[in-house]
Amino acid sequence: MMNEADSLTEIFRGGLPHCLLIVFSLLLTCSPVMPSEFEVISMSKYDLNGQHYGSRVASISLEARSLYSWNTSRHCVLTRLTDLSIHDFDKLRQGAGGLILMLPANILNLDPETKELITILEQSMLTHTAAVPIYFAPYNKDLEKIIDDITYTTTDSPGQNQTALAQLVVTVSANRYHINVGGGSIAANKNSKIPIIHGELIPNQLALKPTESVADGQKLPVILITANLKTFGIYNDYPVNADAAVLLVLMELFSKLHYTSSMAPKYRLRFLLSDAGVLLNFQGSKKWLEVDDNALQNVEFVLCLDTISESLSYTTENALYMHVSKPPKDKTSISNFFKLLKSSAEKYSNGLAVEGVHKKINLADTKLAWEHERFSIKRYPSFTLSSVKSPRSPIRTTIFKNDESRLVEHTLNTTRIIAEALASFMYKVDPTSSIFEGQLAIKEENILPYFGVKSILHNNDVKDAFEKYLNNVKIIYDKPDARDPEFMFYNENEVKLNVYRVKPAIFDLFLTFVIGAYLLAVFLAIQYFPRFYDEVSKLTKEDPAGQSNGHSSERVRMKSH
Amino acid sequence: MTLYHFGNCVALLTPYYFTYKYSGLSEYGAFWKCVQAGGIYIFTQLVKMLVLATFFYSDAPSSSGEFNFFAEILRCSMDIADLLGFALILSRIPGKGHSKLITAGLGWATAEVILSRGIMLWVGARGTEFSWIYILKCLESNVLLVQHITTATLIWLFTRHDLNKALKPLVSLLLAVTVFKGVWLEGMLHILTIGPWLTVAVKALVAAVIGFCTLHIYSGLAQQIGI
Repeated sequence: MMNEADSLTEIFRGGLPHCLLIVFSLLLTCSPVMPSEFEVISMSKYDLNGQHYGSRVASISLEARSLYSWNTSRHCVLTRLTDLSIHDFDKLRQGAGGLILMLPANILNLDPETKELITILEQSMLTHTAAVPIYFAPYNKDLEKIIDDITYTTTDSPGQNQTALAQLVVTVSANRYHINVGGGSIAANKNSKIPIIHGELIPNQLALKPTESVADGQKLPVILITANLKTFGIYNDYPVNADAAVLLVLMELFSKLHYTSSMAPKYRLRFLLSDAGVLLNFQGSKKWLEVDDNALQNVEFVLCLDTISESLSYTTENALYMHVSKPPKDKTSISNFFKLLKSSAEKYSNGLAVEGVHKKINLADTKLAWEHERFSIKRYPSFTLSSVKSPRSPIRTTIFKNDESRLVEHTLNTTRIIAEALASFMYKVDPTSSIFEGQLAIKEENILPYFGVKSILHNNDVKDAFEKYLNNVKIIYDKPDARDPEFMFYNENEVKLNVYRVKPAIFDLFLTFVIGAYLLAVFLAIQYFPRFYDEVSKLTKEDPAGQSNGHSSERVRMKSH
Repeated sequence: MTLYHFGNCVALLTPYYFTYKYSGLSEYGAFWKCVQAGGIYIFTQLVKMLVLATFFYSDAPSSSGEFNFFAEILRCSMDIADLLGFALILSRIPGKGHSKLITAGLGWATAEVILSRGIMLWVGARGTEFSWIYILKCLESNVLLVQHITTATLIWLFTRHDLNKALKPLVSLLLAVTVFKGVWLEGMLHILTIGPWLTVAVKALVAAVIGFCTLHIYSGLAQQIGI
């Protein structure tokens, strides 16, 4: 047994260095655990006419502060989107070290004032350059606790009536948070491009009169319908694209109408959809006009669709506005169409009002207010149909969406009004009669699939729809000029937000003193332990007296024996 | 301040060095005996792990979050191997007197703190996240140092033939209380659900009481045999 113990000890003596090597290797490879990790979405970045928009910095490694307690560029503000105001954002985007906004859990439950403030804030974010990194975090309960913790801490409340000692204790022991967002370098996307798709609706041959020929069909006046597919907002995601949905539904409806109607249309329909909008200054239609300028002849009018439905409505206003750059004279085509719109609205809608808004084009401004200004500058009769009255409405650029069923219903209603008016105009039909009824009725199933269309760069939904209903489908891409780019997009990296709970630097120093006091107490205890042992020994010295008493008892018993 | 915080936590382990330095071990050249005690600790833990993995069911799925008394009893039964380890250490260390017991307890406790707390401190206390758990674990290691020296003393008393017959059951009782501390003490602390700081305080108090009783018995025998 002893020999076995010796051999075991020898084994361990020889094996210990190897174990230590393994252990040290494991120690060196271990890395700290990251308990609090959140998803964040980077703010959109783009260039337009040489102007930078969005945030150009990516990395954050700073102390987290609340909206009310930050004061230097070494603080990263972590707050809720609903708590941020325009004034706060203006200060933050120039002076803070970073900004992380938690999105609302459910935007439908917000009151109208909060919705309005959010859309105004979105617009401000999208139309200014931010010198600090800005991220959006989806709603998270743990993140909300952290935001509450940094907001309600009394560390930075100067008005508190506390004793100096209480403030000192709070300063030393309060929780702090350190924010770390990776984010690589932000590089321009050299393959930036805007797809533009165009198609034409050829009239039905059977509907043409025997005296007319195919060539006569080509000479009909042109009605161009345009819309823009929005691909980003304050972050890189698809907002509500009701305009694209309306355009595609009109395409489907008039394609059916052309093949089923026995009447000859008086006009040709063309459809134009591009991936630019008000944020990109309607760059798609600009490119299309440059490329296809000769093709656009004999235009009756250009109908632009812009914000047909308010994706985040906070007003009870229910109107459809026709925006023009020049007031139309009586008996012109736009004036006639306006009257048909009014008549159609009175007939089909539930109180939808049709109004005209006139705004002159500001030629000195490089940014256009509406898309029809692109065509008005080229002297085409054109107008924009929109549910918003002012071109500066933040509804046009919001990425948030309302209740989807209400959106679909409103879009369906507006689509019917536009379709009826357009059909009456094209076929010179009595406006009191209904065209889209029965087999041609506009239903929810027609419009619902089009709400989720994506860019041509993502999938083929738009291209398939155009090729299914139209002829002469063309796709062109607007690419930025190498020397003087009019627009530019930027690459986006997957990033994570790590929030570490830390203590102030002074706290560790304070902890050192406490530990020093504890170690001093332990040291003194060990130094005085021999004396304590002597005292315990004295307690046991009384035992021999007891034992001697025992001995006496035993002796007495032996004597008696 | 992450490395600084790691230094703060390691500083809480200085009582181990104080015990080695100021109890006379350094003068007797007991360093390698402490290393030997640590080696036997490693061997004992490996044996315990093998036996636990071979003969006992894993109770993780059955009780999540609840204190399983039966599983704890089984687990603490294996801690009897620790007592055998201590007996082996004491038989390997020559001589007599206080230094023998302190060497065994200190070697065992140092090996335990390095192997069970070292990785946690290196990974966690150096990280960015602050947590009180590391300070608490180091304080608990100080309590374990006292406990292991007490256990070594109890094993030594248990193996002495010249111990007073009346004190033998008391020594056995104290050994059982120490071995099955995981059942009754952890269970009681779990039921009371007191805070982590108070938990360490209660453990320190229990270790102090057991230590004092053991010291009382030891001093009597020490005087009797003239140590």
